[in-house]
Amino acid sequence: MSLRRSASAVACIVAASLAATRGFAQSAPADGDWTMPSKDFAATRFSGLAQITPATVKSLHPVWTFSTGTLGGHEGQPLVVNNTMYVVTPYPNVLYAFDLTKEGYPLKWKYRPNVDQNSIGIACCDVVNRGAVYAQGKIVYNLLDGHTVAIDAATGKELWMTKIADLAQGETTPMAPLIVKNIVLVGASGGEFGILGWVKGLDLATGRIVWTATNIGPDSLVLAKAGTFKAFYDKGAQLGQSTWPADTWKHGGAPVWGWMSYDPELDLVYYGVGNPGPYNAEQRLGDNKWTASVLARHPEDGALVWAYQFTPHDSWDFDAAAEMILVDLKIGGRMRKALVHFDKNGFEYTMDRTTGEVLLAEPYVHVNWATKVDLTTGRPVLNDAKGTGATKGNVKDICPTLEGGKSPASPVAYSPRTGLFYASTNSMCMDYEAVQTAYLKGTPFMGINSPYHAGSDPNMGAFIAWDATTGKRAWAIKEPFPVWSGSLATKGNVVFYGTLDGWFKAADATNGAVLWKFKVGSGVVGDPITFKGADGKQYVAIYAGIGGDWLLLSGDYKSDDPADVRDPADFARDLARHTSQGGIVWIFAL
Amino acid sequence: MRQSPLHSRAALALLVLAFTACRKETAIPATATTAGAENALVISRHEGRIFASGIAPPAERVSNSPANDAKAADAGAALFTGMNCDGCHGGGAVGAVGPSLTDGRWRYGGADADIYRSIAEGRPKGMPAFGGVLQPAMVWRLVAYIKSLPQPKDVPTESW
Repeated sequence: MSLRRSASAVACIVAASLAATRGFAQSAPADGDWTMPSKDFAATRFSGLAQITPATVKSLHPVWTFSTGTLGGHEGQPLVVNNTMYVVTPYPNVLYAFDLTKEGYPLKWKYRPNVDQNSIGIACCDVVNRGAVYAQGKIVYNLLDGHTVAIDAATGKELWMTKIADLAQGETTPMAPLIVKNIVLVGASGGEFGILGWVKGLDLATGRIVWTATNIGPDSLVLAKAGTFKAFYDKGAQLGQSTWPADTWKHGGAPVWGWMSYDPELDLVYYGVGNPGPYNAEQRLGDNKWTASVLARHPEDGALVWAYQFTPHDSWDFDAAAEMILVDLKIGGRMRKALVHFDKNGFEYTMDRTTGEVLLAEPYVHVNWATKVDLTTGRPVLNDAKGTGATKGNVKDICPTLEGGKSPASPVAYSPRTGLFYASTNSMCMDYEAVQTAYLKGTPFMGINSPYHAGSDPNMGAFIAWDATTGKRAWAIKEPFPVWSGSLATKGNVVFYGTLDGWFKAADATNGAVLWKFKVGSGVVGDPITFKGADGKQYVAIYAGIGGDWLLLSGDYKSDDPADVRDPADFARDLARHTSQGGIVWIFAL
Repeated sequence: MRQSPLHSRAALALLVLAFTACRKETAIPATATTAGAENALVISRHEGRIFASGIAPPAERVSNSPANDAKAADAGAALFTGMNCDGCHGGGAVGAVGPSLTDGRWRYGGADADIYRSIAEGRPKGMPAFGGVLQPAMVWRLVAYIKSLPQPKDVPTESW
């Protein structure tokens, strides 16, 4: 723990943000439920429940567990709606509904889809699912093989199934949908397979595809219409096409695999776009818009309103797929409708979510590929020594790694009570050796060799609290391994996160003191939630089940045999002493 | 967003060259082999099969490449990169999202004919069928390359 914030400074921030927080961040139907992946449209992962406090958290103990019977990485989070808990497993994407009103939380029903097992090998980074969303009596989620399904929340009956993506093109669908009004928003992974990345809006009632918008390509496909679309920094038309050589945008990647957010007042949906393909940047000279970017669209017709590119001409696999958190913050003495984003590239961006202007961009981990972000141009100031490409050979010691200073798979939480953002971070660096590669449909389109190693800090991860109004860290809990779980913030002033070596931890939101921890049986890459039970008590739930990008660390290998831990995973071979695979749902109570 | 160690440096030019070279070539002479009986010296698990009534099926007749031909293995190494095999199986075939081909475990059999079939016909968990884009002689070069890789003395309990 370091950089501990003074008590008076915290008090000021608390007062300011309590005054500042607008209603929509907490507009979820009932604060005791958890109806959408990120808790609310603003993606705060903040719950107004307050029975669990720094004073009471010591008596937290497990009250229920459930084996999901699957070994894939358990990213994402359960939902709790009307005293029912909904759990989606990694492939084969079984949906369980548990009755929280009865002892032992027995199964109400389960839905077993028929998922194409080819998706196992096409999914780039384990067979994860990042969660379901609830609206209007329906549980909606994506199957890994490119289908979206809507299930009757009461009966488990399939209401509709829509094919949204094409496995044969390398598209898979682990992301969590968001439902805005009557539109289900979905996107596809496949930045490693040369897809032409997109988002789609489906009709919640029928599953019909209402609109499709690509993230790259000509304005007609990107749905950038004159008069509606206006980027803050970039001028001109056809930016998604003119920033690519010839037709390379057609296999340029731009996947969508994180969590989306929505501002009802501006009527804008925000999401991050992943990496350009291939990883060898010399095969796609130019900015490659809108990869590694944030896009703001109208949910009903998909029209692009603004876009901003965090990493132009991304040469390090710096997907911007991470969540965009929408809160109103006082910056430079002025209240702003802010968007806060912790990018893989190591910078935290505080933006104006109305226009796409960058108000502040500061490194939250050690960054050496760029020295800073120029706020007048919105572009990073590059360190030329860290540029990559096939003619540059093996470029050493680039920080952070392509796993990100924070992974987009590890969503941040925001507490209006402290005014702080809580993030799982990684202190690692990489060597990046790009090679020429050819596009072959249905096979990876990459061209890279990139082993990782620990950064200058002997600890490879930290759970941090961050002030997005100043771009400064408030405190940090250092962890021996990269931290890969999502975060949960609560009104009780306790924050929760999990570790790859299998600890589920609670910390004081104000000062980062670890107040409680429990060993949950497998490494945590999922996201904690909290809910009010049928008995009125506050509960906390978390998935255990190491995997995701860490499937390389979590398969069968011997802890004492270096040959059995292959690069790039060999930087953390001790991990095998602390965890193995396997999914468990945990529920804790006081 | 993924780890994929690639060590091979073969470029697109090599791939084109390989295609061109192969198209001109006549088929490699066929050699009769029996699946499961060959390569007895390779240490591996789950390569063999259980025969009902203890009777092996008639020997399959598949053409083979010379297993010890260093040139075939080199050409196969170029193809392994050129066809993006390393994108899933990792550089040197040590495993990434796709299984390792150097850990001594074979999900679908490690005999030459089994590996040939895995490449040419694909496998159900996402292994694409390359038989439509690669001629048999090229698939055999890939087999030669894969079989040229060192296999460990201590085989892990499960493929990953």
